[in-house]
Order: sequence, then structure tokens, then C-alpha cells
Amino acid sequence: MNQINEPVAMVVNGNGEPIGFKWRGSNFLVANKPTRWFARRQWWKEAARVQRGIGVDVIEVEMWRLLASDLAKHTCLQYELLHSVNSNDWRLVLVYP
Amino acid sequence: MTFPHLHVASAFSGHYGVTRPELLAEATAARGGTHAAVTDRNGLYGAVKHIGACLKLGLTPIIGVSLNILSDDGNKLARCVILAHGSDGGLGWSALCQIVSKANQTKQKEAGIKLSELGTLATRDSLAVATVLLGPDSDFGNAVLAEDRVTAAASLVAWRKALPHRGSLAVEITTHLTEPGTPYSMVQARRMLQLADNLGIPAVLTNSVRYLEPDDALTADVLDAARHLEPLGEFTPQPNAQAWLKPQRLMEKLAEEITEEKARAKKLLDTTHKLAEACSLNPEKDCDWGKPKTPEKALLGIDGNPFEVLWQKAHAAINWRYPNAREKKLLEVKHRLSKELITINQLGFATYFLTVADVAQMIRDMRIRIAARGSGAGSLTNYLLGISGVDPIDHDLLFERFLSTERSSLPDIDIDVESARRHDIYRAIFKRYGSQRVTLLSMQSTYRGRGAMRDSGLALGLDDEEIDDIAKNMWRFSARSFRAATETKPELAKFSKALEADRKMNLLVDITERLDRLPRHISMHPCGVILGDGNLLNLTPIEPSGMGLPMSQFDKDDMDPMGMLKLDVLGVRMQSAMAYAIREIEKTTKQHIELDEIPKDDPATFELIRTTNTLGIFQIESPGQRELTGKHQPTEFNDLTIQISLFRPGPMKGNMIAPYLDGRHGFAKPEYLHPDLKPILQETFGVVIFHEHVLRIFDKMTGCGLAKADEFRRSLEDPRVAQSVERFFKTQATNRGYDRQTIEKVWEILASFSSFGFCKAHGAAFALPTYQSAWLKTHFPTEFIAGLLTHDPGMYPRRLLLAEARRLGVNLLPIDVNHSKDEFLVQQLPHSPAFGVRMALTDVKGISEAEVQRIIEHQPYESIADFYLRAKPSRKTLNNLALVGALDELAQASGHHRGDVMQRVKELNLLKTRPKEDPNQTSFVFDLKEQLPRTEDLSKEEKLQAELEILKMDVTEHQIEQFRPMLDAMGVVHSNELVSLRNKSDVLIAGVRVATQTPPMRSGKRVVFLSLDDGHGTADATFFDEAQERTSGILFNTRLLLIAGKTRRTGVNGVSIMAENAWSLRELWSQWLNQQKAG
Repeated sequence: MNQINEPVAMVVNGNGEPIGFKWRGSNFLVANKPTRWFARRQWWKEAARVQRGIGVDVIEVEMWRLLASDLAKHTCLQYELLHSVNSNDWRLVLVYP
Repeated sequence: MTFPHLHVASAFSGHYGVTRPELLAEATAARGGTHAAVTDRNGLYGAVKHIGACLKLGLTPIIGVSLNILSDDGNKLARCVILAHGSDGGLGWSALCQIVSKANQTKQKEAGIKLSELGTLATRDSLAVATVLLGPDSDFGNAVLAEDRVTAAASLVAWRKALPHRGSLAVEITTHLTEPGTPYSMVQARRMLQLADNLGIPAVLTNSVRYLEPDDALTADVLDAARHLEPLGEFTPQPNAQAWLKPQRLMEKLAEEITEEKARAKKLLDTTHKLAEACSLNPEKDCDWGKPKTPEKALLGIDGNPFEVLWQKAHAAINWRYPNAREKKLLEVKHRLSKELITINQLGFATYFLTVADVAQMIRDMRIRIAARGSGAGSLTNYLLGISGVDPIDHDLLFERFLSTERSSLPDIDIDVESARRHDIYRAIFKRYGSQRVTLLSMQSTYRGRGAMRDSGLALGLDDEEIDDIAKNMWRFSARSFRAATETKPELAKFSKALEADRKMNLLVDITERLDRLPRHISMHPCGVILGDGNLLNLTPIEPSGMGLPMSQFDKDDMDPMGMLKLDVLGVRMQSAMAYAIREIEKTTKQHIELDEIPKDDPATFELIRTTNTLGIFQIESPGQRELTGKHQPTEFNDLTIQISLFRPGPMKGNMIAPYLDGRHGFAKPEYLHPDLKPILQETFGVVIFHEHVLRIFDKMTGCGLAKADEFRRSLEDPRVAQSVERFFKTQATNRGYDRQTIEKVWEILASFSSFGFCKAHGAAFALPTYQSAWLKTHFPTEFIAGLLTHDPGMYPRRLLLAEARRLGVNLLPIDVNHSKDEFLVQQLPHSPAFGVRMALTDVKGISEAEVQRIIEHQPYESIADFYLRAKPSRKTLNNLALVGALDELAQASGHHRGDVMQRVKELNLLKTRPKEDPNQTSFVFDLKEQLPRTEDLSKEEKLQAELEILKMDVTEHQIEQFRPMLDAMGVVHSNELVSLRNKSDVLIAGVRVATQTPPMRSGKRVVFLSLDDGHGTADATFFDEAQERTSGILFNTRLLLIAGKTRRTGVNGVSIMAENAWSLRELWSQWLNQQKAG
């Protein structure tokens, strides 16, 4: 399991589910039905302000776990990606194994 | 039907839920919802507020509870929601109440109920009356999560066995979209549903809601920290922010994701709807909503029509209350009584009055002092039934302010009793009516400034001291506007600076604002008792209170909606002090005083009040009231009512005091606006002070009747309604022939003064103990001081009471191990027929209750060694007792003094162990006829110092006396001489600081009021800017002071000092001593 924290360019389908992304110059194609969940942030360690109405982003983050094949290397691995809903930024955070 | 959320914790789920029930209901209504549930943790704390909100919004209320469910050996099986079935004649509701009460009847830290007990209580005649939701937080959910299908299925079967009846069990499907493999994940929900389907158990969808919006999840984090008493990061926090009141669209989407099949999703939603239908409460029929409930007639000793009984009781009491009344007066009494009784009958409150009268009689039979407070004193019925001690006819009080057919809510009758006997009364009420008809009232305290800040600091793991430092400066602003306050309040300037750099401080401000106003914890209401009929415990859940008796989970705001009778039995220390004084009077003089029967026009009593030496007198002893007493110079009972009413925030803000005093002293001609109003406003020289004035003016000028007038008065505060009241008033007054100018002027006063006024009945009810305590102080100062010292009812330290006692010529007897008890007794002076107050043992620093009891139990003692052996005091206590002279008498017989006693105590305290008490054992050390050593005595100063140190009181003499030679040489004036000096005389006064006040001033400038006690009374000095600067080093912290200034007359008997300078007495003293030596 490798911890990574790098931006990726993501393509999603009509339901907002990832179908492919570009990372470190390679193209990846999603190979299963991805699983989405919501993880939490430790806002007390990170946030500058938490006033009423600041929004859910300081506490919660959307995560995706999926299998994807590297179209260049012909490998298929499990990846975890973090999706910032407001900015629509995607970051790759974990690669298994 | 839109999606009904069946699992919703409101903010009344202590330290868990975030949103108040009213807001949740409003959100549901705004989305077009029809059903709304609240299922608070461990109790029905938010239930009544929820039902009330639903009724207002046209929603169908559903009520449940979230409880720990235990196995028979007490292990936690699950936390389940239990929903009461509705529209079943109250079976579901009463089952829920009983389940909650049972669950709270535990010695464990958290409420919980055994599954077997739950099964019994949730069914009635083999029919389910409540539904238990088995959700992810359970043995079943855990087994599913562990992918152990066999265990999971087995536990589900066990649940069905415990809850076998149709409709008593449902599986609760919930996902918070957590990480796969963790609780509340999608996969767990899916598998739970599959197993439920396999066993044919109905499944419903919930979102296990804790808050209204995702943003509120952060507040939930902070509440979790407060519940765990640990900072965030030290415990497992909630997994994410999904536990919000999701709208229909998202709940349907979840159903589809869980089931992965449209038809199954629809069935899941349908079953949820069906359960919501089954749980739809009909508040009136299920909860007996709004119907007044009182104990059964038989318990009140009534058979027949309660109204007839009330009518007879009240009429029978006329002779008692008006023994020598003339025919005309009797007619007036009977006429008024009839009017009141008609109203009471129309409202159906006869039993209510009989109940309160029964309780009042019971309290009197216990020989406990009782007095009414509040608007109830305006009722003649209350006066005749002995509930109130103030004659409303004599004092011009109005029944309509208390009760009228315009309002149908149960009236509040509040009674004051001796504080020391309050718990006895509660127990007696439980005994008299039976514990199935009585519970105490609870009280929800909410987060306010400092509390919010402390718990926020805890959540962030901030240093306690740091938090305390900031919290101390949180004055006069609400936590909700904390950030704004940091920008404007000078005392937060340092903190505001820190905010710029410190991230955690910023978070602290933000979450403190979030916590503000949320319910914090439940506790016993300080005075409320609920009295109901035999069905009471089917209508309210109960839990143990701090004092052991059960209390309802409903608070005072829930009483009226539930139709519950709340009686406020408030403990008042002054009542205890007066009862004590009466007992001591009886003991020493064999004279029985019926305090409630003394004439209310005793000249000596008013003379004492007018001297402004009001220390110890109820309601009028504060520096401000003392000053007002000097200006006002009351001469009759009604004056006391007026004075007490004037010195209230409303009348003070409305600037009513000065015009009233001007009128009273003839400085200004009273302005009555119209001859018709003169009879109404004559008592206050044209100033509108009382609610009763407003009522009478309305009635006089519009003919609307007093009941309607009170409705008008109440609605004046609401600007929307006020307009229509204004129209009514002006039109009607015009019709009745008042001229335009008068109408405009009167309206202006009514509109502006209504919110400032005070209820006269309340003032009169308070004036009674004021008069009674003043009477006792006038005629029995020794016994009264003993009562004050024992029950400590006032605002001043005990040592000031001693100073007052000395001023009154009351003898003070020192603490003595042979004569002192745990109360301040009145005892005869040695070798004299006179009496004095004996200091109590309880005031010795560090003495334990057990030590006090031992000392009393073994009295009398022959010698110091005898005391040491039998009373077994700790070393510290023995030493302290010796230092304050409590052992002096044991030594005096043999001609020894305190110095010798101290030496002997030192010897005893050196012994490693206390020898066993043995009459046969004779050793030198424990010869009861002990030989005391001869040493030097303690100096007078040392003795005084010891008293102040150990008793916090100067018993032998006033501490100012140690400086007497210097004070006399300087020509320092006694405080009681000030009144005879000319205005603007230069004076010096010296004394002990007893009060420092810096009230907010209109000009914004700070004025410091300082009160000194010099043993002759209390002197008040005012420090303005310049004097404050000159004395800044000592103004707020030096205790013994000398003040120089000019006298300023404030009234006939009112003088204060405009301070020019001040010094520390101790410093002056050492300088003076040096001068004397040199001189």
C-alpha cells in the first residue's frame, strides 16, 4: 500500500462515478463498479475557522475506491481517490498493494 | 407521503443531538412532510416541545426513545429506538413512558433496560403497543459487519423471540455511507436487509439523524467531546457528516443503493411509511394533551361537586380573615369573591385551587412558615384559602392580573416556605398524594457564555487555566456574539490580539458560538412539584433526582401543554431565619408569636426602617435599597410594596423612581392627566408603576373590563398587536368622551411604561416578609440575629451581621465547647438575666460535620484533656478551637488564660496517638483535674486576628477598634453620625469594605460605589473619575480603608459621601505608631 497525494485529472459518468483518470502522464481506465464513501477530517488539527455555516468540507471528504488498469503498463491495481466536492479536485491518495 | 424520518435525536438528547425539535419540525413542514418523529437518547426530554411544534405546523407527531438494551446479565446488546404506537387510546404512549422510567431506574451510569423487561412492557394483551428498531448498533449489526451470517441470524432470531408479537420488532436499515467494512456502511445495511427478509422481519429505513444540516456535524463533534469528557482526537469520533435530516430524494436514492432493486427499495420505503402510520400520535387522546389534571377528589377529602366545596370553603373563611368587618366591607368581600369564583368555575379550576389549598394546609400543619409570591397574591380566593397572606382588597390587588376567562392556561401559584424544610415538604407531598401522583419537576439548563467556552476548550484540548482566564472576562454578552465581542470589549483586547495569530483560539471562538443556547444537562428544578392523578406516571417518564425523589423528564415549559399541575414550592432562607427567631423567642421568653397575625402598622418598625439600618431585612438591605429607604422614608405597609416594586430593573429603566419621590415629598405637583385617573394613581403620585395601574386605566377609559385589560397589557409588548390595541383604546376613549390630548398622553404612557411596570401583587407578597423581618429586628433583635446567623439569608458576610448585632446592643457569646451547638442559639449570659447569641461550632475553619456532632454529643466537658479524649477533635480543629477561645472557660476556673490553653493544646497535639478512654487509667497527662501550664497570654490583636482567620468573624469586638486611638486622634466620624452633619461637610470615615459596585452608567463613565462598615452602621461612598485615579492602588482590593470626602444628602435620612481620597488603614496605622514612638 503506497501513500500518494497527487492531483489527477478525472473523467466521471452521468452519476458522478469515476470512469477514467490521468496520473503521472499515464491513462487509467476504471475496471469495476467503484465504491464511494465519506471519510472525516480532523478539523481541530487543520482548519483555520469553523464558524456556523462554513460548510461540510472542513469535516467531511468524499472518497472512492476502485480498480483501474494502467493502459500503458497493462497492470490493474486498486486505487483510492479523494474528491473535493466544492472545487471538484481529485487527488490520488492510496495505491494497493 | 414524503419520507418520514423515524430516528431523530433532538438537541434534548444531552451532549448528542444538535438541533432543537422546533427547528426539525419546521424543516419537515417546509419540505411538505406530514409526519415527524423525535427519538431522544435515554428519555423523552424533547417530546412535548416536539408535539407542540408539530401541532402548530399541522404535522403528525411521532415519539420514541433511544435506549441501551441489555441482556439478562446486564451486558449491552444494542442501542435501539423504541417507537410508541399512536391512536390507541394512550397504550403506546404510557408503555413508552414506563419503558423510559424503567430504563432510568438504574445504578449504571447510563439508562438501560433488559430485553426481557422491554418485551413485557412493549406489549399489552399480546398486542404490540410499541415497535423496537434493531439497527446497526447491536449484536446483530456487529455480527453482520463481521460477516458472521450464522451468529447474525441467531441473534436476529433471539430478538424476534423476545419481541414475538406482530409489529413489536423491525430491523432498522441505516447507512451513513461510511468506509466499507465499518459500521453504518452500505454493505452492512444491505446484508442486514437480506437477513431480515430471510426471516420475514419487517425492515424500515432511517438515517439515525443527529442534526438538521451537514454543517451541524461539527457541533456534534464538540458535543461528543463533552459527552466523553475528552478532547477531540482522544476518542473515536463520528465517521463523517451524514447523520443529517436528508430530504426525500436522497433517502430514496439510499434505498435504491442499498437494495440495488427498485421494487425492494419501494417496499422498504412503504414499510417505513406504514410504521409511521402506526406510530402517529393523537396528542389529545394518547397523551391527554392540554387537559388539566389534578389529584382525585377523594384524596383532597372531597365528595360531591368540587366547585361547591370550594365555594363553601372560601365563604367559611370570611369570618377568619375579616373577623370584625362591618356590613359594607363584608358585602365588598362577598361580591369580589363571587366574581372570582365564577371565573374559577368557568375555567374548571376548582379542584386546582382545592389542591393548592390542601398542600398549603399540609405545610401549615407541619408548622412550617408559608407565604405566597407572584400574581397569586391578587386573589381573594387564595387569601381565604390560606394560600396567600396578603389581603388583596386592602392592598388594591387585582384578580384579573392572576386569572381570567380570557386565558385558559393553568395559573401559577407559587409559595415560599422555609428553605431548611423544603425537602421535608416534598417528601410529605409524596406521602400525602402517593408516589404515583407526584413527581418533581426537572429543568434543562442550556449552554451560556462561560459554560459553552469551557466545553469548547475541553474539546480542543486547551489548557484549563487559559480557558478560565478568558471565560472570566465573558461578561454581559452572549456566546452567540463572541467574535463580535472580541472586537469591541476592552477586557477581551488581549484575547482579540491572540486571535490574529492563534488558530486554536479562532476555533474556540467559532465552536463556542455554535454551542450557545443548546441544552446542556437536566437537573432538578429548584422548586417545582408536579401533582397529578393516579395516571400521572402513564403520562410522564421519570428518573431519579439529586435528592432521591423521582423527577419528571418534562420541564416547566412542558407543563401547560401537558395539562400538568405544577406547584412552585420555593425555599426562602428568610422564612427559615424568621421561623428560627420565633422558636428562640418562645424558648427564652415563653412567648408565642403568631407572625402572620401581627398588626401591619407598628410605628416602631417603620421608625427602624426609616433609619436605613435595614441590614438583615428581607428585600431592602442592599446598598441601593438602603439609599432608596433613606429617600423614601416609608411609613406604612403600602410604602414597602411600592419601594420593593420600584427597585426593579423595569421601573428603574423606566425612570419611575425620581418622579414618584418628587411627588411624595411635595417637590413636584402630581400630574394625573385626567381627574378620572386620580383615584387610580394617587398612591404613586401620578406615576404609573404597577401592572394593576395599567389595567385600571384601560378599564376606566375604554370600559373594556379588567380581564380584557390584562390581555391588552400583555399584548402591548408585541408591536404587531399593539397597533390594534392602540386603535381600540383611542376609539373607545373618544367614544367615552375623553379629549384628544388626554388620550394621546395616556396612550404614550401606557405604551412606553407597560414593559417597565411591575405586578403589585408580587410586590405586596414580598412586602409581607419584609415587614415581618423588620418587626422581628425591631422587637426581638437578639433572636432575629440568631436566626440570620443560622440561616444566612442575606447578601452580606456574617461578620457584618455581628457588627450590626453590636450596634443593636445584642450580646455576642464566644464559641465554647460546652455551650456552642451547630446553630446560633440564644442563651442566657453567665451571671446575668440578659440573653445573647452563642456562636455556633459550624463556623470554625475546617471543622467537619462529624466533629461538630461528636462535640455536641459529649457535652459537657470537665477539662481540656476530657474534651480531647471524648470529642476526639483533629489536631487542626483542637488548635483552632483553642485559638478562638472555645476552651477558655475550661481553663478560667483555675485562673488560667488562653496562652496557657494554647500551651496545653500544644502538649496534647504532640502525642502520637490518642489514648483509649479508660476511667481507671490515671496518668499525669490525662488527669481530668489537669494542671495547666503558666505562660504568657495572647495579645488582644492576636486574638482578634485568630477570630478573623478561623471564624471569618470578629466576635470579641469590631476589628476597627484596634485602630481606635488613631481614628479618635484624626477625628474620624462614625457612620451613624453622618446623618446629623450638614450637606457638603468634610469628613473622614473608616471601616471594613462590605460591598463594591460599579453599575453601568448612562454616560458610559464608570462610577464606583463602596460601602464601609465601621461597627456603627454602613457608610456608602461614591468615587468619580478623579477620586478613582487618586486611589487606583487600593480602590478594589484593600479591605480596611479610611476615606476622605464631602457629605451629600440624598434624602431625609439618606447621606452618602463623595469620596476625594482613600488610604489603607493598616498603612496609616503603622505610620501613626512610628510617629507616636518618635513623638
